Amino acid sequence: MGAHYCAICKQTTFSGKKHVFGKSHQSRLRVVLLKFTEKICGCSVSQVKEARRTLKKPQVEKFDCTQHKQKIWCYCCEVEIERNVTDDNMTVLYGGVIEHMATPEHKNKTHKFWWDNKADPKLKDKVLFTAEEAERFKAEVSEVLETFVEKEDEYIKQEAKFIRAQEKHRQEVMQTLLERKEEPELSNGPNSSRLSAEVPVSSQLQSRGWGQQMGNAFADSMSEVTQTAAGQGLTFIGYQDSSTSGNVHTGAVPPWLQDDPLEGTSGAAPQKEIGPSLQDFLKQKEQEKLKKLPPNRVGANFDHSSHTDANWLPSFGRVWNSGRRWQSRHQFRQEERQKRKQKKQHGTESSKKAKMTEQLSSSGV
Amino acid sequence: MSLFLPKLTCKKDIDEAIKGVAEKVVVLRFGSDDDSVCLQLDEILSKTAHDLSNMASIYIVDVDKAPIYTRYFDISYIPSTVFFFNGQHMKVDYGSPDHTKFVGSFKTKQDFIDLIEVIYRGAMRGKMIVQSPIDPKNIPKYDLLYHDI
Repeated sequence: MGAHYCAICKQTTFSGKKHVFGKSHQSRLRVVLLKFTEKICGCSVSQVKEARRTLKKPQVEKFDCTQHKQKIWCYCCEVEIERNVTDDNMTVLYGGVIEHMATPEHKNKTHKFWWDNKADPKLKDKVLFTAEEAERFKAEVSEVLETFVEKEDEYIKQEAKFIRAQEKHRQEVMQTLLERKEEPELSNGPNSSRLSAEVPVSSQLQSRGWGQQMGNAFADSMSEVTQTAAGQGLTFIGYQDSSTSGNVHTGAVPPWLQDDPLEGTSGAAPQKEIGPSLQDFLKQKEQEKLKKLPPNRVGANFDHSSHTDANWLPSFGRVWNSGRRWQSRHQFRQEERQKRKQKKQHGTESSKKAKMTEQLSSSGV
Repeated sequence: MSLFLPKLTCKKDIDEAIKGVAEKVVVLRFGSDDDSVCLQLDEILSKTAHDLSNMASIYIVDVDKAPIYTRYFDISYIPSTVFFFNGQHMKVDYGSPDHTKFVGSFKTKQDFIDLIEVIYRGAMRGKMIVQSPIDPKNIPKYDLLYHDI
C-alpha cells in the first residue's frame, strides 16, 4: 500500500486499487475517454468518426501552418503524438494519429490502461487501429497525394494564363492611348486650312468623326483600364514627371524643407514670431503667482496702479477715533479744514497787528 | 539712519510706497536722524531688511518732511512704525495703548522679525488686526495723551 499517483484524477492515493472503483475516478475516466475518442474522431459529438473516415478516404491538404501542427496526448502511452503528417507543403490529415494507433506498443499499453482503470471495454476498439488498416491507409495516401499534386499544378497553370491575358490587355490599352495622342495633332492641321479645299474638308470631317470614335473608344478603354485596375485593387493616376523639380532618388530638397511660396503674400500680419511677447509672458507669470495667494487676504482687490490725486490719504484707523476706519479719513479732513480756517483767522489778525505795529513804528519814527 | 533703507521725503513718495508695494508688508518708520532711539531702531531695521525682503519692504520717513502724515497718523512719539499691506493699514495689539503704530525701538532683531511674520500671516488670512508676538516686557512704555488735556 504505497503512494500511487493516478493520472486521471491527478491525485495521489494511499488506498491502493480501491481508488479505481470509486465514483469520482470512474466519472473522470468517462470524461477523459470521451474527449480522447472525440479527438481521434476529430471533431464534436455531432460528427462521428472522422478519423475512421479518413482511414477509408485519406485527405490531403495544402499545408496550413496555423492548424496542421497540432499534437494529441495519448493517455495510454503517456506520449504526445503529432496529429498530422506533413512535409511542409502538404499534410495528411490525422496521419500521425493513425500511425501511432497502429503500433503494437500502443496496443499493449492500451490494454494495460483499460485493465488498470477498469474502463469500459466497448470503447477500447475506438482507440485501436489494426496494422492492416494502417497499411491500407498508407497505400491510399500515396494515391491521393499524386492526385493532389496534379491538381495543384493545374491550378498554377490557370493562374499563369490569367495573368498573361491581363498583361496583354494592358499593353493594348497603352498602345491605343499613344495613338490617340497623335490624332489631335492631325486634326488640328486640317482645321487651319479648312476654307481652301473641299477634299480636305471632307477628309477633315472624316478624321473628326474618326477622332470622335477614337475618343469614345478611348473613353471606353479608359474606363476599361480603370475597371481592370480597380479589379486588381489599384487606380492608375498618371505618370509623374519629376524631371524639373527633382525626386527622392535624385536627392532633391524635400518640399517641407523648401520655403513656402505663399509666405509673403497671405501671411503678412503674423510675421515670424508666434506667441505672446516677453512682457506679456512675464505678466502672465506674475498673475499666476498671484493666483496662488489666498483669496481672502487683506487688500486682495487693491488696485496698485490706480492714480490718486495729491490729497489721497490711506485708510488709517486713527488713534482718537471711535467708529469705522473710513470715517477717520473723513474726520481728519474736517479737522484739517477747521485748522486752516483758524489759521486764516489767526493770520488775518496777526497781519493786522503787524500792520498796526508798522504804522505805529513808522509814525513813531 | 541706515544707508541701505530707502528714504521717503514727500507725501507723494509715501503714497507711492503704500500703493505700489504688492503682497508685501510696508513698514514706514517715522522719526528723525538725530534721535538715538531712532538710530537703534534703524539699525535693527537695516540688519533684518534683507532677510525679510520677501515679506516686507521697509522705508524711512522723516517726520518733518511730511507733516500731513505726522498729523494723520497721530505721531506724538518718535520713532513710530506704521504697517501697511496692499494699501490697507494693519493694526497690532502690543499690549500698549496705541494699536495703530509701534512706538519706540525693538529689543532684539528677532522681535521685529516675529512681528513682521505675524503681520504677514494675518494679512494673508484677511485679518486687519493681529496680536503682537513680542513679550510685553520688551515693549517700550509711554503715556498716550489726548492733545487737549
